[in-house]
Amino acid sequence: MKRNHLPFYFIAGLLFIAPTLLLLVQSFTAPWRFQRGEGLQFQLNSWSLLFSDPNLWSATLWSLVIGAMVLLMNVFIGLTSGKALALYSFQGRTIVESLLLAPILIPVLAVAMGLHLFMIRVGLADTWVGVVLIHLVPTVPYSIKIFHHAYSEVGRPLMEQSQMLGASVIKQFLTIELPLLRTSIRSVTFLTIVISLSQYAITAIIGGGQVITLPMIFFPFLDTANASVMAAFSVWFAILPLVMYIVVEGLLQLLPYSRKPWRIQT
Amino acid sequence: MKTFYFPIILASLLIISACSQEEGASSIDDITAQSWADIEAESEGTEVRLYMWGGDEGINQYIDEWLQPQLEDEYGVELERIPMETEEILQKLQTEQQAGKQEGTIDIIWLNGENFKTAKDNDLLAGSFVDVLPNFNEYYQTDDPAFSTDFGTDVNGMEAPWGKVQFVFHYDSEKVEQPPSSFAELKQWILENPGEFTYPNAEDFTGNAFLRHLLYEQTEQPSDIYSEPFEADEVNEKAEGMWTYLNEIEHDLWRSGDHYPNSLTELDRLYGEGEVSMTMGYNEARAEKLIDEGTFPDSTKSFVMEPGSIGNTHFLSIPFNSTNKEGALTAINYMLSPEAQLSKLKQDYWGENTPISYEKLPDSMREEFEKVERGDSVLDQQELEESFLPESEADYVEWIEDQWFDEIVQK
Repeated sequence: MKRNHLPFYFIAGLLFIAPTLLLLVQSFTAPWRFQRGEGLQFQLNSWSLLFSDPNLWSATLWSLVIGAMVLLMNVFIGLTSGKALALYSFQGRTIVESLLLAPILIPVLAVAMGLHLFMIRVGLADTWVGVVLIHLVPTVPYSIKIFHHAYSEVGRPLMEQSQMLGASVIKQFLTIELPLLRTSIRSVTFLTIVISLSQYAITAIIGGGQVITLPMIFFPFLDTANASVMAAFSVWFAILPLVMYIVVEGLLQLLPYSRKPWRIQT
Repeated sequence: MKTFYFPIILASLLIISACSQEEGASSIDDITAQSWADIEAESEGTEVRLYMWGGDEGINQYIDEWLQPQLEDEYGVELERIPMETEEILQKLQTEQQAGKQEGTIDIIWLNGENFKTAKDNDLLAGSFVDVLPNFNEYYQTDDPAFSTDFGTDVNGMEAPWGKVQFVFHYDSEKVEQPPSSFAELKQWILENPGEFTYPNAEDFTGNAFLRHLLYEQTEQPSDIYSEPFEADEVNEKAEGMWTYLNEIEHDLWRSGDHYPNSLTELDRLYGEGEVSMTMGYNEARAEKLIDEGTFPDSTKSFVMEPGSIGNTHFLSIPFNSTNKEGALTAINYMLSPEAQLSKLKQDYWGENTPISYEKLPDSMREEFEKVERGDSVLDQQELEESFLPESEADYVEWIEDQWFDEIVQK
């Protein structure tokens, strides 16, 4: 069957690639006054301004560490509860299911204020562990939903088969479940990192300024009229999920039955 | 198989839950009872955490590159700047107070107006401390109403004046020959140049200030507004002309007034791109930076109109649960010093006006202040001082927000 890919490339280029390129160009040029008939002026001011912030590197690192921890906990919680919801029947399953989704229906900020009180008492306020925990609130419900769906696709019969053949739980998990869940892990990675990375208010409240992540530096700059600085910040911001995605992709290659990029496809 | 570890984790966290700290920070009254030399001596070698809005690179650099090394050298105080929005800071303090957390992480906050009112009403501040600051007593007009009230709220010495700003309009001198000098002339100009003017909506800080100027203009004397407590009936009557004015210009605003910029940032972008010919804002010198970095055209100039230009003071304060109040006092005192204020006034970093009294400065210092070149886009000091108008009570701000929506948007 011959497919025409042209419309796809056209739409993707127009809606996704062109705006990104524009952002890149803008970060390297002075704000453009096209109404006055001026041309583009290339400059590096926006980038040097960005790197002059003494907190930039540590904030970037903290964002990565927190993002990675949030991702790990999401995969763990998502996998276990997703599997339970999909494959086991128990009383009150629908109630548990809707309870697990509840956090995305309540505004995160409201949850954060209540949890802040709790975290102060427990001693987790103003620590990065507290920030990781609060980032679970807006991310875990999605992960559970994604893994729930994935396990439903895999289905119980496949699990029963491996159990009958005598595979241990670990072996079954490594050789059957994980390889089949690869696409879900990808989605969860992207979703989790992007959500965690863009949390300003809850990070500020729980982290209390002791934990400075990228949005803490970045968000106040939304008030600047200098579009070029904003563009440089945005590009820097976008690199993080990309890096994390590549790392996770590399890790997924280690799974059994992965198609190695250096192998010839037949 | 047991797969629900989450509740277990949460439950175990609950068990660790310790009782809240009892010891707490020492009270500000005990500290201010000491001699100033003792306070300075005790702050040596300590860390002071300054929480402030971080959205301006010039301000950030003033703190990081100028103030921080100076404080370190002169007093051995290590200043750390933490970027956070003032609303979030107050939210954090409020929850900490509920939880009885007496050992906070914040030593100094930067605030004014409504935020100060919130902080004061909820007992989030340490208390009165301004009287013990040597620099405040020596170089400032201590009984100036601009320092003793903040948007109509009594300061009671709970915050120290750090800077002051005044509202000005900016225009592109290539497109506008003679800037208007009154609201009547502005209207004339708008009608002649449709689509070239707009103002941020009333919920924006700056848009609201623009409207307050217009409200001041409706009265015989602006003091009828700013020295009068808010009285809805009276204001409604005075404001009649204001809504007429706004409705008359609406059709000739940018996009025929169908859409108002949501924030000053939006208006600044429109101005920077050449869509409109005027913008406005607090801080009479703010255009300099924007011209320098190329956001605003080089031909940007500023002007003020009758009846005058509203200005306000912004302050530094100490939260109730600061653990290093001595360090905070030392740092605030230094931030009010002539050297720190002079550096703040220069265009190198921030370029912001100072609340210091020039008459009280030693001669050599006063000359330094008078020598500072603030830039071509900044009006001269005398013109600014002559047009200065104080802020009205905070209630007016809210009233304008509501009424503007009813009178302008819904019509």
